[in-house]
Amino acid sequence: MDHMELEESPKQQYSDKEKENIFNNEFMPHINSMYNFAYRLTLDQDDSKDLVQDTYLKAYRFIDSFQQGTNAKAWLFRILKNSFINDYRKKSKEPSKVDYQEVESYYNSEEVDRQITPDLRVEALKDMIGDEISNALNALDVDFRTVIILCDLEGFKYDEMAKILDIPIGTVRSRLHRARNLLKEKLSEYAKQMGYKNA
Amino acid sequence: MSNPDQNEKKQECQNQRECMEMLQLILDGEASPDQKEHFLMHHLEDCIPCYKNYHLELTVRELLKTNCTGQAPQELIDSIKAKVIPNFLSR
Repeated sequence: MDHMELEESPKQQYSDKEKENIFNNEFMPHINSMYNFAYRLTLDQDDSKDLVQDTYLKAYRFIDSFQQGTNAKAWLFRILKNSFINDYRKKSKEPSKVDYQEVESYYNSEEVDRQITPDLRVEALKDMIGDEISNALNALDVDFRTVIILCDLEGFKYDEMAKILDIPIGTVRSRLHRARNLLKEKLSEYAKQMGYKNA
Repeated sequence: MSNPDQNEKKQECQNQRECMEMLQLILDGEASPDQKEHFLMHHLEDCIPCYKNYHLELTVRELLKTNCTGQAPQELIDSIKAKVIPNFLSR
């Protein structure tokens, strides 16, 4: 277990009954979101099951570090993200981590303005059957994929994302901005393959 | 929201980068009410590129939500419960 989760709040001392309540009523309701996050990170069904199970077992083991009334979903997502980095990322077939220095300086450069949005059209998007969207998301580098999942699929706010990912809010914003442009570039490629001109 | 009349509206946005950033703040629920009102009421209706981008961004978000979420397998839920629940009962 990464020590980071444990520093957040003073330790609680829950009774077994309270632990059971927290686990069943605050942790388990997020199982679908957790599984989806794990699957989108690992892109492997068996790995994602193991990752979610490990995360829930850790959540139980360190339940005294969770403060009731705070955001259980964000707390769980953070444990899952750290487990992924520590236990799965090394063995996964992911391409190497993006060089953020390069990415952030690209983001701040003039180049971004010129190709700020690919000329993708709503009509082309609506004709996509669904696989394209999922494939486009999965094709992004894991760090870009992650911010889109947290924001667009799970509805986390920027400050929550900053805590889950241990990065400043400004980085959350710039990474999201870049991730969305990359996603639209991918979707634009698919639209062209589908025969949309200038999509 | 009515479709802007293509003949009277701005065909080019002078502040496209700033507008894109504002648009995302708004769609992410992170913009202040003033920022939101100014952009949606005063800029969007007059600027074709921003109007199009707004709808594109909305569509991408909708598609992500409908196509990229799923349910956890029941066996996973059962397995987690089987491993954790005995801890509640054992003491």
